[in-house]
Amino acid sequence: MKLKSLPSTLKEKLRYVSFQIISEEPIEYSDLESAVWNTMLDFLGERGVAKTLVWLLKDRWDGNTQSGIIRCNNKSVAEIIASLGLIDRLGDNRITFKILKVSGTIRGAVK
Amino acid sequence: MYYDMHVHSAFSEGESKLEEIASRAKLLGFKGICFAEYFKNNEQMKTLKQNIENVAKKEKIKIFLGFEARSEKELRKLVKIRREYDVLLVRGYDLDLNRIAVETPEVDILTHPELGRKDSGFNHIMAKEAAKNNVAIEVNFRNILLSNKGTRALILQNIERNLKLCRKFKTPIIICSGAISHWQLKDPKVLISMGVLLGLEINEAKLSLSKIPEKIISQIEERKSEKWIMPGVKEV
Repeated sequence: MKLKSLPSTLKEKLRYVSFQIISEEPIEYSDLESAVWNTMLDFLGERGVAKTLVWLLKDRWDGNTQSGIIRCNNKSVAEIIASLGLIDRLGDNRITFKILKVSGTIRGAVK
Repeated sequence: MYYDMHVHSAFSEGESKLEEIASRAKLLGFKGICFAEYFKNNEQMKTLKQNIENVAKKEKIKIFLGFEARSEKELRKLVKIRREYDVLLVRGYDLDLNRIAVETPEVDILTHPELGRKDSGFNHIMAKEAAKNNVAIEVNFRNILLSNKGTRALILQNIERNLKLCRKFKTPIIICSGAISHWQLKDPKVLISMGVLLGLEINEAKLSLSKIPEKIISQIEERKSEKWIMPGVKEV
């Protein structure tokens, strides 16, 4: 049985943050995913991360442009962006996040 | 319209060249940056000025020359030649130096007053003096970036306490990356978000990267005019 979707008034208000990674060498999605989770758990703690509803969208990762989208709720955008800023290395590879856009829809974040 | 007013290049403790930092800052969306170097002699200052001019032309970004005083003696020396460079920063960590910095109107920025301390290195009296003399108190992102666990928690706690005082006494607040390499330069949105996490309103956080640096920049222009005598005094 499929779970019935919530009425729009009860749904979480989400934000999609699109970002680009500037790095010495191209990076893999798996490395990025583990770095994002580890940094957020370190900085915000397990409870803090749970509150943010954070999710890195795998199907929106573009290896060619090194850009992607991360999802969170509307109250946690600052936490998520600040945490991304705290990632400065993936192994020996030095990286910087450039925040492109914050939007309420994936389509808006991609534009 | 964002500015990063505290970046070190290879001329002082930094690792990157002026060109690398300037081009990265432009890529991240900064309108201008300020190189905060350590003063050695007039020769070094001339070389720096020349290099900065060349890089600014090449990269088409505003670049300012700042000196960061690390002791009272160095501060006195830099105050004497205040007209010859753009921004005067004081490296906060020592209580006496923090106090002298906020009492000196020639100083533009007191960097990380809580650096390496268990307390926040800043109190209500200093906040009042800083507001009176227009000395901006810096939130340094590098200190947060390079620390972890308990140390990071302590730094965040101290910065938050300082920002609370600054808000109460209307002391200017400035958020900088404090980068020593172009890899440590951060997107302005990252710096604004950190400001929000540390207790600022979103507008206040944005102002600390735009209006407050712009105010410092307008003072640079005033200082260059022949009518300027000292802070708050000019020929009419």
